Amino acid sequence: MSRFLGISLISLAALACALAGEPKESNIFPYKINQVTSGNGLKIVSIPFDSPGIIAYYTVVRTGSRNEIEPGKSGFAHFFEHMMFRGTEKYPKTKFNELLKSIGADNNASTSDDETIYHTQASSDALETIIDMESDRFMNLKYSEEDFKTESGAILGEYNKSSSMPFQTIEEKVRDAAYQIHTYKHTTIGFLKDIQDMPNQYQYSLTFFDRWYRPENCVVVVVGDFDQARLMQLVQKYYSGWKRGTYSLNIPAEPPQKEEKMINVPWKAKTLPILSIAYHAPAFSDKEIDMAALNLLSQVVFSQTSDLYNKLVVADQTVESVEGSLEENRDPGLFYIFSRIKDPVNIPKVQDAILAAIEDAKSKPVSSERLASIKSHVKYDFAMGLDNADHVARQISHYIELANDPESVNRFYALYDKVTPEDIMAVAKKVFTTNNRTVLLLAEEKHEVKQ
Amino acid sequence: MKILNCILLMSAVVLLGTTYCVSNNQGGPRITELRSENSPLITFRIILRAGAINDPKGKEGLNALTATLIAEGGTSELTYSQVVEKLYPWAANIDVQTDQEISTFIGDVHRDHLDKFYKLVSDLLLHPRFDLSDFQRVKDRGLNYLKNSLRSTNDESLGKQALTAVMFEGHPYGHTEIGTVQGLTAITLDDVKAYYKNTYTQANLWIGIGGGYPATLIDQMKEDFSSLPAGQVTEVPLSAPAPIKDMEVTVVEKPTRAYAVSMGYPINVTRKDKDFYALLVANSYFGEHRTFNGVLMNRLRGDRGLNYGDYSYIEKFVGGLGSPFPDLNTPLRQQYFSIWLRPVQPENTHFAIRNALFELKNLVEKGLTKENFENTRKFVTSYSKLWASTINRRLGYKMDSEFYGTDYYIDRIERELKTLTVDEVNAAITKYLHPSDIKIAVVVDEGKGQQFFNAMVENTLSPIKYASSVPQNIQDEDKLITVFPLTVNEAKSKVVNAKELFEK
Repeated sequence: MSRFLGISLISLAALACALAGEPKESNIFPYKINQVTSGNGLKIVSIPFDSPGIIAYYTVVRTGSRNEIEPGKSGFAHFFEHMMFRGTEKYPKTKFNELLKSIGADNNASTSDDETIYHTQASSDALETIIDMESDRFMNLKYSEEDFKTESGAILGEYNKSSSMPFQTIEEKVRDAAYQIHTYKHTTIGFLKDIQDMPNQYQYSLTFFDRWYRPENCVVVVVGDFDQARLMQLVQKYYSGWKRGTYSLNIPAEPPQKEEKMINVPWKAKTLPILSIAYHAPAFSDKEIDMAALNLLSQVVFSQTSDLYNKLVVADQTVESVEGSLEENRDPGLFYIFSRIKDPVNIPKVQDAILAAIEDAKSKPVSSERLASIKSHVKYDFAMGLDNADHVARQISHYIELANDPESVNRFYALYDKVTPEDIMAVAKKVFTTNNRTVLLLAEEKHEVKQ
Repeated sequence: MKILNCILLMSAVVLLGTTYCVSNNQGGPRITELRSENSPLITFRIILRAGAINDPKGKEGLNALTATLIAEGGTSELTYSQVVEKLYPWAANIDVQTDQEISTFIGDVHRDHLDKFYKLVSDLLLHPRFDLSDFQRVKDRGLNYLKNSLRSTNDESLGKQALTAVMFEGHPYGHTEIGTVQGLTAITLDDVKAYYKNTYTQANLWIGIGGGYPATLIDQMKEDFSSLPAGQVTEVPLSAPAPIKDMEVTVVEKPTRAYAVSMGYPINVTRKDKDFYALLVANSYFGEHRTFNGVLMNRLRGDRGLNYGDYSYIEKFVGGLGSPFPDLNTPLRQQYFSIWLRPVQPENTHFAIRNALFELKNLVEKGLTKENFENTRKFVTSYSKLWASTINRRLGYKMDSEFYGTDYYIDRIERELKTLTVDEVNAAITKYLHPSDIKIAVVVDEGKGQQFFNAMVENTLSPIKYASSVPQNIQDEDKLITVFPLTVNEAKSKVVNAKELFEK
């Protein structure tokens, strides 16, 4: 940790201390984290935060498109997120919405590879109402087949709204090519053919709910202005009847990629050519150094302070953008590189420049001064994002998704302190190999990517 | 950082160490303060009281290009890359947002680096580098946005911008915030330098600062920014938007698999007007952005699964995609009412337009019941508190309120809604909203424009196609919607290719 960052983290911790009473100067996350696991396996994570009269209430379901192992069922975790707003006997859909409206809540949900998150921001006074509504739908969701079919139209609409964006297609194509058997082969919204078949999957939706919406697979996160004892009383009152599930999941491990994959995507609408290069990368770990090292490498090679960015974007101006980053996933995800190239003539030149920068990362150690600057950036970036209860809940939910433990955030950021230039070169050599690569070019006209 | 949230629900002038202050430009530009002494974050919103409406004819985009070049072009001492290099270890940012009436430079920094950060921000604004190379990079990006992104890769933005373009044709708001293809192409670096010299004056710059900054910084800012020419604010006069007769439809063709729809018309009401707050309740009931409260969302998506979302607005609404809340500092003196239908399957688009206007007609004719009104008033009063949950957003709302010449928006909502009546809401609906005399922009697949246009003009029946059966009450209503008359003004309607839009 750099000296000046240390100062800032202490000051953040001191602010947290004023409320929570437990300064943790060595931690990136400056607030006290309470964790309680109920008898049925439901974990409650609560974080006092100075947001007078306001709470953020999240339920993290550690199920996402990663869990969609059966053929033809891609996109189901996300579809199910929609169905969770269709009501129960106690609170039918209309009543559910009326109650949310009565408490002035912001309420929504999102799904990704590894999780489905249900999130609410509202007045602290509404805590019991929120817990009542949330526990009820997680235990007693009930919808008709007609409602299910109608909602499938909204899913198709969600796919449609992004269909004119090249990046939706790029992600679909790259994942499909890069993965053979792991469920990261499909995007969270799913294959279009599966989305179009969703109206016929009512029975499966009941199975899906039975499998995954179980207390041991969920974590409730409460951040903001609340009373801990009262919170625990309400949890006991409303969630204690929730029964554990029995289903266990066996997701096939992806074998190493054996050869480079090449994809050309002709695009009907006007676009700059987009070059995408993806590599299989390590899974999230707060113990092994690889993901932390790879995150820092992405800053070395692709940030706005990198030599590559300064060459391609600022000096030569051959590309409008170039970026590279790692998806943080429970299982091995992809390291994505994207560049929007101004003139198709320069596609090979840009591809060469990106690959050359990656080769440099394997053999040229980053200077200690630059590494310190990058570590500082990463940590300030995190700390500055903790500026309201909702943002704190979102950040901590990410680590619950990955590790089922909010304290993982502190362990993971502590790894950054340990990353050396040698670690970065080592992970570059491990990840950035030709056989591990999938290259895609999306362009209006046919322009082959270089082998 | 935690103190940021202390101000969330407060309405007093001084609260929990957070202090509002506005100073005029005696000895420097106008400054709006939102000080929160213990906050480790400092946020800047520096507004230039000039926007796309200040673009000279034939140089549309000059305001945006100049502002972007200032934010992303270096100082007299430092190149752009050197500025980025300095900001990087602090994870600080200096962004720019350009709009029709104003342009806003937005920066956030941790207090550990405030002095150095302020030096960079002030140097960027007071001593911009204006390198030819940076100029070319920023200009290229603007042109690429218009030609290769807006026209092509985001149909929802295209539909909204197409609506704005036709709604304000011949009006100062008639071109996009970042200009036109021909306008941007014509701009030279000398144009930028001249625009900077004439526009970046003490009178036009308005500094907003919030968070844990020292009081001495205010004096320093006044002194530093006094080096700019004094200048004077010259407000661009706004002509009345052209009147709309019946339904004026613009069908935009481009390759696409689903059809985005935006529709609306100018309304003469803004946050400074009492009626705005009556409309705020009406609009929340009818189409609150990204919630299931609205009639539109419930009828089109909830009951019929037509698309992903359906909302309405009584003022310009930018952003709100990743978050339910809008971007700030996009105020307009001339506002407009709009409806946004997210992309619909082609075969159901005609029906969806009818459905939305059918519901708007119901709203105008029936208004809100007492119960609808009370529920919605209660919701808006509470929900609006969530819009300003960070000091950056609170500062943004504060400055927008000053733009409109009203008190702090979130407080005013609470105050106005406290005494509002259902009769006032329904009177405002009748006064400002109507289901006819409306502009409609639809983005359709290439080659399908004329067919869609003809169906609209000929008022062809548009039965909906469902994936499954729906309840009888919906089927009965569908029969009414299928034949709901759309009176299209053919002479003022057209089919255009997306490539023709935003050209000049």
